[in-house]
Amino acid sequence: MTATDDVRMIEAEAAPTRYARGWHCLGLERDFADGTPHQVSAFGEKLVVFAGEDGVISVLDAYCRHMGGDLSQGTVKGNEIACPFHDWRWGGDGRCKAIPYARRVPLRARTASWPTLVQDGMLFVWNDPEGNPPPEGVTIPRIAAAEDPEFTDWHWYTVTIDGSNCREIVDNVVDMAHFFYVHFSFPTYFKNVFEGHTATQFMEGIGREDIRPRKPGTNASVGNSSVASYHGPSFMIDDLTYHYEDGMDIPAVLINCHYPIDANSFVLQYGIVVKKMPGLNDEEAAAMAQRMGDFIRIGFEQDVAIWKSKARIDNPLLCEEDGPVYQLRRWYEQFYVDAGKVTREMTDRFEFEIDTTRPNEAWRREVEANLAARDAAANDPADAGQTV
Amino acid sequence: MSVRPDNRLADVAMTPLACTACGAGVEVRKSSWDQTSIQWHQDAVDACVERRATTVGAGPNGAAFAGCAALRDSVRAAAVRGDLRVVDEEPLKANPENPEHADDHA
Repeated sequence: MTATDDVRMIEAEAAPTRYARGWHCLGLERDFADGTPHQVSAFGEKLVVFAGEDGVISVLDAYCRHMGGDLSQGTVKGNEIACPFHDWRWGGDGRCKAIPYARRVPLRARTASWPTLVQDGMLFVWNDPEGNPPPEGVTIPRIAAAEDPEFTDWHWYTVTIDGSNCREIVDNVVDMAHFFYVHFSFPTYFKNVFEGHTATQFMEGIGREDIRPRKPGTNASVGNSSVASYHGPSFMIDDLTYHYEDGMDIPAVLINCHYPIDANSFVLQYGIVVKKMPGLNDEEAAAMAQRMGDFIRIGFEQDVAIWKSKARIDNPLLCEEDGPVYQLRRWYEQFYVDAGKVTREMTDRFEFEIDTTRPNEAWRREVEANLAARDAAANDPADAGQTV
Repeated sequence: MSVRPDNRLADVAMTPLACTACGAGVEVRKSSWDQTSIQWHQDAVDACVERRATTVGAGPNGAAFAGCAALRDSVRAAAVRGDLRVVDEEPLKANPENPEHADDHA
């Protein structure tokens, strides 16, 4: 073993035990609006999400303050959630509204409720360890495409990540090189801007012919332009345009969001809406959104494989062609301290534009080598007749 | 949870620079001719003419301000003058076909 003096050590504090302050998307509204209670494990707690008869979706602590029954195993009755244990009825505001067998509801019969936001087909909850409501102006921007009949409906994916803190997914926003190795993209332009509670990634990319070979006679995607912003700690909107060989552009909006289950697991969700191109019926457009989503899924699955085996690292050793990991984490820190302790340093505007010259030279060589290897394999007589 | 310093800043730190258009003071670092980091502060954001002239663009991320062209030019000019160190020591590439650079190759 090398003398320890010469070895750079990986350093990592334990993942924080508090959860980020901010809006967190729990999923699609349509998946919660069926009149039954839904259990969600988030922020180290068990929550119940339910829609009343009035259609209003509420989020409460799942444990009934009476005898600890699990409300997520209960029943929606009117606009209240009824506990399966003794039928105590809890309203969306967290107050006990009725106890069918009792003369009156005891004093202070109130449980924890989370502020919610239903917007553009998604359900959000506000988490604040200090218990304050969302400040004015801290919100999620509207996504016009989500309600636009010229776009498809959300095609949505949910995956639970065990054994990793959600900082791993947030790091992605600055990690240009991993987009080539893990997501099969080919970034040619890459810039990050952090300001206030948003962190943005401007990216231009070209297609990877070694990954998705062009089929003769089809109109291949030759690249994409993307502006992706985290609005707060966990919800990213990627305003994305796919460029095609024939000059056609296909606009899409990709969501990449997560909520923490606890310090070492989180739920990753992503979804896409795609503009319905002329000549495609709704079914064909939905199939196209699914194809795009499924390609994105391959990248996320590879992220997950990396996260499962990697070490948490607070002192990454960066080269000049890497993105601003440390400055991103400085920005991210604002969501983990009390609102009164957020410093200018965390929110001041910071820009970082990467020089893609050297990475692009290396990646072009790699793509060409992959193509050459594929051609060689195709011409190898040993492969003749092989059908699988 | 404390955030550590960027290991790259140990080699070459961020350097103060004033925009030649509005005088906004920022800190910059260039690791190559095509790489730039810019640390703004609130007074620079308030001073920036382009920033103030920018309206919110289309789309959900339209509020994101990609950057100021005048500041970019100021940073580049400082690097060309030699007032701002570029970490990568490769010389600035000039296009020999461009008559503006004819002297470079004379």
